[in-house]
Amino acid sequence: MSPFTDANKKFQKELNSGTAALVLLSILASADEPMYGYRIAKLMEVDEENVPMMKQGALYPVLRSLEGSGLLESHVDPSISGPPRRYYKITESGLEILKSWTQIWDQTKSFVDGILKGKADV
Amino acid sequence: MCKDVNEYLAKLRKELEGSDTALIQDALSDAEGHLRMALEDALSEKPRLSEIEAMTSIIEKYGNPKEIASAYRAIESRTSPTLAVSRTTETRSSWARFFGVLAEPKAWGAFFYMLLSSLTGLVFGGWALIAGIISFSTLVFIIGIPIFGLFLLSIRGIALLEGRIVEALLGIRMPRRSLFLDRNLSWKDMFMALIKESYTWKAWLYLALQFPLGLIYSLGILLLFVFSLSFIGSPVLELVFHIPLDLFGDDVFTPVWFLPVVCAAGFFLLPLTFHLARWVGKVHGKYVKSMLVRA
Repeated sequence: MSPFTDANKKFQKELNSGTAALVLLSILASADEPMYGYRIAKLMEVDEENVPMMKQGALYPVLRSLEGSGLLESHVDPSISGPPRRYYKITESGLEILKSWTQIWDQTKSFVDGILKGKADV
Repeated sequence: MCKDVNEYLAKLRKELEGSDTALIQDALSDAEGHLRMALEDALSEKPRLSEIEAMTSIIEKYGNPKEIASAYRAIESRTSPTLAVSRTTETRSSWARFFGVLAEPKAWGAFFYMLLSSLTGLVFGGWALIAGIISFSTLVFIIGIPIFGLFLLSIRGIALLEGRIVEALLGIRMPRRSLFLDRNLSWKDMFMALIKESYTWKAWLYLALQFPLGLIYSLGILLLFVFSLSFIGSPVLELVFHIPLDLFGDDVFTPVWFLPVVCAAGFFLLPLTFHLARWVGKVHGKYVKSMLVRA
């Protein structure tokens, strides 16, 4: 086990708290139809390579918080094979804020990349 | 490590002890839905896998109860219900606080909740009482069992809807996810689970009581509101339009010298009405939480 395991976990957690909402909005913006939590989690599982970006269980409160802010809307449909599923869909304001957050993310990413590569003017 | 979904849920409930009960219900509902779906997928993909092995891998991805409890608490602390009051120190004078209630979203939310409650009380309470009696009386026949079971399920659905209205208008955190029954249970066990769970009966009682309570709320608040406005407008109504005050069926023309007093009384009665609405909203919020939150 790496001596930095705890520090790595904490760093990953701090990163996740800011990026999870952006990732979820982005997934739902590119989805053709409303998606439920488990399916979104499975989709993220396919995209990840080694380290899971975030625990699947932590997606649900973020989805609910985005819905509470009016960036997502949802409806519940019964399922034959299991418990009822809550389907999420991005709203107009969700799409608008996604554009703005993507710009902020690009700026942050290029700033951090620049620093990490030693190319930034600091 | 948890050997099955129920053990995971018990541990998650323990980790969330002390949190808002509605948050606990949501977290348990999310976890139960996800874990059961994941378990079903895992066992159908690899039938030779034992349930414990499957659960170990699922929890690794989903997060252990401690991690998940911490994620819910962290996000909940950043997202309060729409009309929840911020805990800032009150620096306004007593007069400003008294009249300032008219600018408080929470007071208006409670006011509209009280107005709306006659309609919701009539529909929800009417359903709880009338459909309840009819479906209960069908229990003498075998066919009555699924009918009564469906009625009890509908009560849980309506209780969730009432909770959403309460959260939107009273700013009280209520469950945002519906409760569900384990689909692996037989129909008979599902029915028994519905019957045995106290939540079902508390929800039914709450909805039935909303029938008279909703009427009292709506009539009370509407009367006070109409009186306030008519007192405020009495000088214009009586002197310009010659419309008398209608006090419980008696038309009364106020003496001119007394009109400023009536008008001033209206200006006091209006904020008083909203203070009352806010107080009723607060008390009703505690009551609804004790009745419609399972955890």
